Amino acid sequence: MDAKMITFGDTAMEKLLQWLRSVGEPKDIDDLLRQYLEILSSLVMEENE
Amino acid sequence: MTGAPPMGTVEQHDLANEIYQLLIAQGTLFALHAPIRQTLTNLTEFLALRHQYDHETLAVAIETALEADPRFTREEVAGEVRFVTSRHGAYMPRQDIDTHSFRQRLHEPEHPLPVDDISVVVSTSRPAITSVEPVYISDYWQVQVGIAPVEDGGDEDEAETGQFVAPIHESVASIDLVSSPVVPFDEGLPTANVVTLAETEPAITAQATGQQEAVETEVLRPDMPQTVVEPVEGETITHAPVTPVAPVAPVAPVPSVQMPPAGRQTIDRSTIFTLPDGTMIDLRQPSAALLAEHGSAMAQLLADKIEQDPLRRIVSFGRYYFPEANVVNLGKNDLRKIREYMLERNEPLLDAELINDVFYHNARQADYEGLRFSINYRLHREKDFEFVGVEGANLWSTRGLPVIGGKRIKAAEMGQITSYLVEGFDDSRDSIDEGTATEVTSVTHQLTFFEWEYGIIPLDAALAALLPGPVLSDQRSAVLRFDSPQRYSQVLVEVRYPTGNRGGWLQGLEEFFHEHLVPSARVTLTRTDEPGIFTLTYEEGSESDERILTFDEKKNKLGFNNVTFYCAIDEELLPSQSRLGRLNRLKAFPMGERRKAEMILEHVAEVIGEQVGSRAEPQYAITLDDFFVAYNVLRPASKRLLRSLLEHSPGFVADETRPDLFTYVPMTGTDVEANEDEDDEQREPEVSRADVPPTRRRYGGRYDEDDE
Repeated sequence: MDAKMITFGDTAMEKLLQWLRSVGEPKDIDDLLRQYLEILSSLVMEENE
Repeated sequence: MTGAPPMGTVEQHDLANEIYQLLIAQGTLFALHAPIRQTLTNLTEFLALRHQYDHETLAVAIETALEADPRFTREEVAGEVRFVTSRHGAYMPRQDIDTHSFRQRLHEPEHPLPVDDISVVVSTSRPAITSVEPVYISDYWQVQVGIAPVEDGGDEDEAETGQFVAPIHESVASIDLVSSPVVPFDEGLPTANVVTLAETEPAITAQATGQQEAVETEVLRPDMPQTVVEPVEGETITHAPVTPVAPVAPVAPVPSVQMPPAGRQTIDRSTIFTLPDGTMIDLRQPSAALLAEHGSAMAQLLADKIEQDPLRRIVSFGRYYFPEANVVNLGKNDLRKIREYMLERNEPLLDAELINDVFYHNARQADYEGLRFSINYRLHREKDFEFVGVEGANLWSTRGLPVIGGKRIKAAEMGQITSYLVEGFDDSRDSIDEGTATEVTSVTHQLTFFEWEYGIIPLDAALAALLPGPVLSDQRSAVLRFDSPQRYSQVLVEVRYPTGNRGGWLQGLEEFFHEHLVPSARVTLTRTDEPGIFTLTYEEGSESDERILTFDEKKNKLGFNNVTFYCAIDEELLPSQSRLGRLNRLKAFPMGERRKAEMILEHVAEVIGEQVGSRAEPQYAITLDDFFVAYNVLRPASKRLLRSLLEHSPGFVADETRPDLFTYVPMTGTDVEANEDEDDEQREPEVSRADVPPTRRRYGGRYDEDDE
């Protein structure tokens, strides 16, 4: 994915939700943000390879 | 053999019926709509033998009868006449052409929507299993959005790279045109046992290289139902090719999900996206670096976005987030039990206590944290419950619990009285270093008369740095426990947080102060390892006996009483009778009147100040320290606030010879009128100040000794 298409807080939120479900316990905003950045990074970097 | 009788319509119908019954028996095990074929030759042979008819005549009769019967269809393959029927009646070839399939509509929509963001293609439906699964996006959409090249063939890539490529379903599906051979009836077999292998319904097989030639040859599928059939003597089993049943229409290509091999192709795309405030975020940087640099801004933005989600898929409580679908629902009965338990304990309770004592859940259970979040989240949405916890200690209160700090002062009045703290008149602000504010572990505070009397301490900057802040944006108060290691007791204290232009304060210390301390004592609050627990200590002293100011609540009068105490005091701030003797027997202002800072200032100056003027023109001299002690009898104030009031209030003049000494000249009645209506003053002749006897200004709620 081209990073220019990313809308922070909208793009890939479904994946963030899936991660939060799979974890099974509440996470604080820092953990949530860290995971979200990793999701966005993998979206961009994997498709660039 | 005899010749066949001439056949009328009835006979033809009977003959057709007989043949139909024969074929039904032949295809007893066939599917209802499966074709049942038989050649005219075989039929003639069988019926001629049964009825002893002439072959040629019977053949003509059969052909005539069956052609007239709609249940039969005549076929001619390689010069041989055959009739086809089915158990359902007339055989209708199966039509596999699907012009309105969901797959076709999904992958080849007539009017595809514009795709600005590939994420909109991702389904928002929740999977039944809570596991991270890859979301497959069809090639169609990827090509539409321009992020995937059009694939020519996956096999080549697979062969070249050795990577797995999901199989691509070819557009031309192979058609299984397996036809069953027509088997003649055996003379020696009963009709019921004569069954031929019938043609199976055309099926789409998975073989990628299905060839029409192979299909047309005889194929005896081993898994097909089969009965022992012996060929008629002298006859050869014919495996004549059957007219192909309508071929299946080409199926739309099924998109293949291809895992791009590593290093196969490098596409140069941007890795930088922009936040709404213009901040550029480069995703090539490690997450830790991004968090360190932009963590707070992105966290706030992400929290806002989650909050704005109309589907509310992720909900929050404080800093914690959880899928809304995973939140445990609490019914009315659960809420009632929680409230009753709180009232039984008669104090605010932690969420952990509620889980343990009401829901009998312990921390070792896997869903403990989820249930804990659910309770906090649900209680926060109920109006009967109020969150009074701090970070790390989720404390809940409910309607009906005793009010901490009593009801002597209304919260609205106290908020206005302490508004000077948020207006920039906080003396403790100078001692707080913004950089080390979070490292404050203890704060020492000197009690004024007001604080001692009402058990209230204004929440100044020093205390705000020590005490935990609100967890929720709409949280108005928190309940803390102050342990007194010197008295082996503990006190529940309510912290009222500042809101808008109203200041904050601590309340609930009245009993402790009255029991162990006197005004001007120094108390120290110290942080503990527990987030909601602090220690309250004071400097002990030898036994002392002083006649100090007290307030009789019933009579609403100030007075002086002998008090024995065992704590260290500051003589400069002690409201002793020798210093504030003029306050004796004075009534206190109603709390609503004490909000008026200027009015209290003038009142204190008149009562406490030393009369330095004449009777006609009274003037009151008072030092800032005396102002501070006397002013804090009626309401809390900082020296900075007092200095500002003295500098800006009319009638107060700073003494040039002695610092922090002020003189107050009360306004006369003429001055008041002059200020109220300048126009009237201009029209009327001037009145000398000396001609008018001085009148003390009386405010709506002012009381003094003469009012009794």
